[in-house]
Amino acid sequence: MKLTHSHRLAATLTAALALANHHAFAQDDLSALSLADKAPAEKVASRDWHLSTEFANTNSVLRNGERVNGQRMSLDLQVDKTLGQGWRVLFADQLDLRRQPQPGESATLNTVKEAYLSWSDAGLAADMGRINARYGVALGYNPTDYFRTGANRSIVAIDPASLKTRRQGSVMLRGQRLWDDGSLTALFSPKIEGDAKDGPFNLDFGATNFDDRWLVAYSQRVGGSFTPQVMLFKEGVHSPQVGLNLTSVVGQAGVVYFEWSGGKSVSQLGQATNRPEESVFRSRSAAGGTYNFPSKLSLTLEYHHNGDALARDGWDALVPVDRIAYRLWSQNRLELVSKKSVFAYASWQDGLMSNLDFNAMLRQNLDDDSRLGWLEARYHWKRTDLAVQWQQQQGTPASEFGAYPQKRALQVLVRYYF
Amino acid sequence: MLKMKMMMPVLLLASAACVAQPTPDPQEILAASDAVRNPDKPFSLVTKLTEFRDGKQVGEMDLSIYAKSEPSGGQYRNLVRFLAPARDVNKLMLKTGNDLWFFDPSSKASIRMSPQQRLLGQAANGDVVTVNLAKDYRAKLEAQEEVQDGDRQARKSYKLALAASSPDVTYHKIELWVDTANKRPIKGKFYAESGRLLKTAYYRKYEKHLGTERPTETVIIDGLDPKWVTVMRYSDWAWRDIPEAWLQRDYLPRFKPE
Repeated sequence: MKLTHSHRLAATLTAALALANHHAFAQDDLSALSLADKAPAEKVASRDWHLSTEFANTNSVLRNGERVNGQRMSLDLQVDKTLGQGWRVLFADQLDLRRQPQPGESATLNTVKEAYLSWSDAGLAADMGRINARYGVALGYNPTDYFRTGANRSIVAIDPASLKTRRQGSVMLRGQRLWDDGSLTALFSPKIEGDAKDGPFNLDFGATNFDDRWLVAYSQRVGGSFTPQVMLFKEGVHSPQVGLNLTSVVGQAGVVYFEWSGGKSVSQLGQATNRPEESVFRSRSAAGGTYNFPSKLSLTLEYHHNGDALARDGWDALVPVDRIAYRLWSQNRLELVSKKSVFAYASWQDGLMSNLDFNAMLRQNLDDDSRLGWLEARYHWKRTDLAVQWQQQQGTPASEFGAYPQKRALQVLVRYYF
Repeated sequence: MLKMKMMMPVLLLASAACVAQPTPDPQEILAASDAVRNPDKPFSLVTKLTEFRDGKQVGEMDLSIYAKSEPSGGQYRNLVRFLAPARDVNKLMLKTGNDLWFFDPSSKASIRMSPQQRLLGQAANGDVVTVNLAKDYRAKLEAQEEVQDGDRQARKSYKLALAASSPDVTYHKIELWVDTANKRPIKGKFYAESGRLLKTAYYRKYEKHLGTERPTETVIIDGLDPKWVTVMRYSDWAWRDIPEAWLQRDYLPRFKPE
């Protein structure tokens, strides 16, 4: 009898709880619908131009312990104007103004990133002018991004997004044929000048158009979502290079990719020091993947290999003058200085609170065990970003990252979008 | 009294007719409800997403969406262009099934994304783009019941239980309430494989666009935190000629709407 009474009590309580939950649920839905009634309805006007400005303060600690401080203001303009049926003109420019510029930096530096005329009609397209032709599927190292040489005129941060956004294109003539599930692109970029120029408003064709280059890229969807890209590239008197880009989705949350470039060439040291060498077949590659967690956290891990680069014993044997030449050549081409390295990148959107993003990057040279770490916290308002970035290089003085004059840096940025 | 007696057979016949009415095919109900949400020819619209947390607006995003179904009449392919906020203007997302690409015009980078990657706050990529549920889910009629719609009106509805027929879908299971009178979707509850409620969506504010009455708002309520609310408001519906060549990665750098 006592048991039956307990059962009844439990059943009554369960029913009461279920009713309370149902009522709370219905109330939650009604509250949400009332809130939704207040959602703004104004429409966004579309514009042909976009302008943003960025203010930055950087505090760096050098290897010798000296502390340096610098300020920068940048203006970034993008214009994309339709001229008529099928015709467009595109222009992108960046102006950097620095107070207390560091050695190697200019107080005023303007970069014309793009300026070209574009035409397209029924699957055919042509472009002419300075174009940022970017290739490659990896994040931290792109051996098939053949037009990256000399493209970074003004480096303000070392994360891949900043390097890719701030670079200048090469002058070229480009044609493209697009069909339902593929495309063929051919481009020619002529030699204009032999040497890079660092004048504040110089168009710097010597950095991007230092030799005749041409490229053909072919993409074709094979099966449901597999679209390999094959490329053929030639620069000046050097042997043609073949490029390959492959990507695939793994399940609902993963992406894997492989990027490869190969062909006959002299070694990186031979090219950097102009030493006569026999060309042999060499290859460079990046393989990796990204996993997206439901919490808006994504993790990327890549393995980079450069068959042209020096191994540890070769690096150790370099005389200082060759070491400097080798390092400068590699930096200008965004090329790996050693054979093997790993790259990790983490991005957490709306981490801890809405509109607050965290990004982190690590580059580890597996040959000399030096590393570069970078962290960013970025908060977004409607038109303003506030970011704090920290970076540190570690390694022996002769290593890739240990040789940087800067040991660590803290940068605070404010960007406003007009 | 005589009048009442005369009416009895009529009432009995009417109720017998009701009982004898065949059970509607749940898959057809689902397809009809898809047709209410999605025009049957290539089209574009503008979606404004507004996100609220704890009663405060925390985010806003405007997207222009171009949608075209596969040549075989299957699932939709979508090209999404960001109109706002200012930092994201002209970025593009291309979704053809599970094949997702993101393009940033400032870096010229085309990045492959997994279906789970979020670009749009609380809304999943699959919430924003045009999706034919009948292509990816098997429907079962669970009940006919009265529910409150998003405009706080009581509606007679079919309650459908949708089970994923393909692993490549955003949600494992969906409960969908469809208006018995006109096959309009009223609300949906979306579940993870674990059975956890991920979100509730109300389809509301019906207006005539591209030939029929369609919902002009979807209100998404988070399954764990009911004070996390996203409103998707649709406008600027238009028929569009969308060539097949637009719907591939290599076209993204060239995309410029009229």
